[in-house]
Amino acid sequence: MIVKTRELTRTYRLGASVITAVNKVNLEIKEATFVSIVGPSGSGKTTLLNLIGLNDHPTSGKVFFKNEDTSLLTNKERRKIRLQSIGFVFQTFNLLPTLTALENVELPLALAKIPLKPQREKAIQLLEAVGLADRLQHRPKELSTGEMQRVAIARSLANNPCLILADEPTGELDSETGYEIIKLLLSLCRKHKTTVVVATHDERVAKASDVKYSIRDGMITQDSG
Amino acid sequence: MCLRNLLRRRFRTSLCIFGVCLATIFIVAIGATTTNYTTVIRDMNVFFGGDVVVVAEGAMVIQAFPVVGGNLPVSVVEKVQQVNGVKTAVPMLVQFGYQFEAVIQLAPTNVSVGIPPGNWSVLVGHTPLNPGGDWPSPDPGKKEVVIGSSLAKQYDLTVGSKVKTENTNLTVAGILDTRSALLSRSIILPLELAQHLYYGHTMWIGNMVVAQPEEGVTEKEVADRIEAEILGVEALTTHERNEIVEPLLHDIETWNNGISGVLYLLSMVLVITVAMMNVSERRRDFATLDAIGAPKGAIFRMVLTETMLIGLLGGLSGIVLGSIAAILIASIYTNIPLSMFFFDLFNIVSPLFMMKILASTVAVSCVAGVIPAIAASKMNIPEVLRSEY
Repeated sequence: MIVKTRELTRTYRLGASVITAVNKVNLEIKEATFVSIVGPSGSGKTTLLNLIGLNDHPTSGKVFFKNEDTSLLTNKERRKIRLQSIGFVFQTFNLLPTLTALENVELPLALAKIPLKPQREKAIQLLEAVGLADRLQHRPKELSTGEMQRVAIARSLANNPCLILADEPTGELDSETGYEIIKLLLSLCRKHKTTVVVATHDERVAKASDVKYSIRDGMITQDSG
Repeated sequence: MCLRNLLRRRFRTSLCIFGVCLATIFIVAIGATTTNYTTVIRDMNVFFGGDVVVVAEGAMVIQAFPVVGGNLPVSVVEKVQQVNGVKTAVPMLVQFGYQFEAVIQLAPTNVSVGIPPGNWSVLVGHTPLNPGGDWPSPDPGKKEVVIGSSLAKQYDLTVGSKVKTENTNLTVAGILDTRSALLSRSIILPLELAQHLYYGHTMWIGNMVVAQPEEGVTEKEVADRIEAEILGVEALTTHERNEIVEPLLHDIETWNNGISGVLYLLSMVLVITVAMMNVSERRRDFATLDAIGAPKGAIFRMVLTETMLIGLLGGLSGIVLGSIAAILIASIYTNIPLSMFFFDLFNIVSPLFMMKILASTVAVSCVAGVIPAIAASKMNIPEVLRSEY
């Protein structure tokens, strides 16, 4: 089991009221599976991904990463896991605008203190793998949205993570490009045995997944089939 | 990467660098000018160290030299000489000049000193003359003078050259080999010639008498006796001369430090404002870096490096322009051509002063970067990322 949650709850205080974004979620994600979490906007998908990705702390409940209770980890240890074991793909790509595609992919490698030469070789190899061999020196604003998301995927793979968390990866893309991205994520899961968790409301993604969860008002249910 | 981040907002970054540069220009120009001014004033008290300077009561004295008023009658020299404990009494006529070679300027740029021939060392000490030169003839009719090296350089004068001052042609007999601010701009001439030039007669001996105490007698004792025995004069010891001007110099330095402090503070506020704007605009970038596991220290250093670069670029350009401004001020103030100062730049604005200013500017920018750097490194990732959707 790569990720397990127990009674995972996250509430936010909004003025006088308390909003429960994630409500007692119990989730088990196995290695090398393609998991989709489907739900409408505001249902708690992003919050759940942030909790699983150790970007956020639960109000109550626990997240186990590779059977390790993450509530016992220091912030430094959580960062280390984020850097070395988890890859993030955001809806709006979140590429650093001043860096080229190559440099954006190199970034996690540089943060992991990989020497410059292997860093560059790995980044080039990843960009070639996502079909962007001819876009290495392009800045994000010089790329199409599909290309930007490919760079973001390449970046998420830089440190060979065992888990990729993708938050609405097709949300900003047209239908055809979105389909390409899904195929890419699926192939990563199959070829490299990487676990991919996708938060989406795109039914095509849900259909392609091994396991589908539905989330509504912070509560999750596993769909059969 | 930091430089690219700054260049992303070119106009804003340029404005910020310009602001830091402008502050640095003022700090350098005002600092160098006041430092030179105070150094020259302090340098003036090197003269007649250990001697008592006698001036007319009410004369305005800056360090060892009366600058305004106070002519002394001939009889004063004899009276001073007769005071118990006085070894020698040398009269002098000191005239700060506003005109040389028919060029008139607003501030004094040269000083004429009339001294009885043979007593030159009372003023110049062991300062030598350039080879080929000699001290002026005691005969006032020959109208010979010795001039300082800076004047000689500025007006391209050599031994035998003619100079015109007070509508009189004088012959350069020698050139002083000195870097002293006062001596290098001096015209030293026999006292009698000076009396004719500046008074038109010899009824006044000049405006000061330098009294050297005998061995075993203190300056204070001599000064007290002179003031007790001779009416209408003031006798100033080295300490008293310093006391007259030190509060003024202290005030000038305090004002300079105050102005520099305010300018540094303004630079800091400017850098903080711009850096906070940058951090606020790049919240998503910092949250992304945080999300992919960048250490807090790396984000902190990135912002700090950016503000440091602003300080470095602003400081460097400010020092260059400030140095030009400083020599421009010095040139206007002294009427010495700008070209002469370019060769002497490091005397006007010393490399140590430049390094200090650069270090201070960079340090101020780094301090200014701390708050934005903390803001960037303590970003709440889920909140920032959630606000996107």
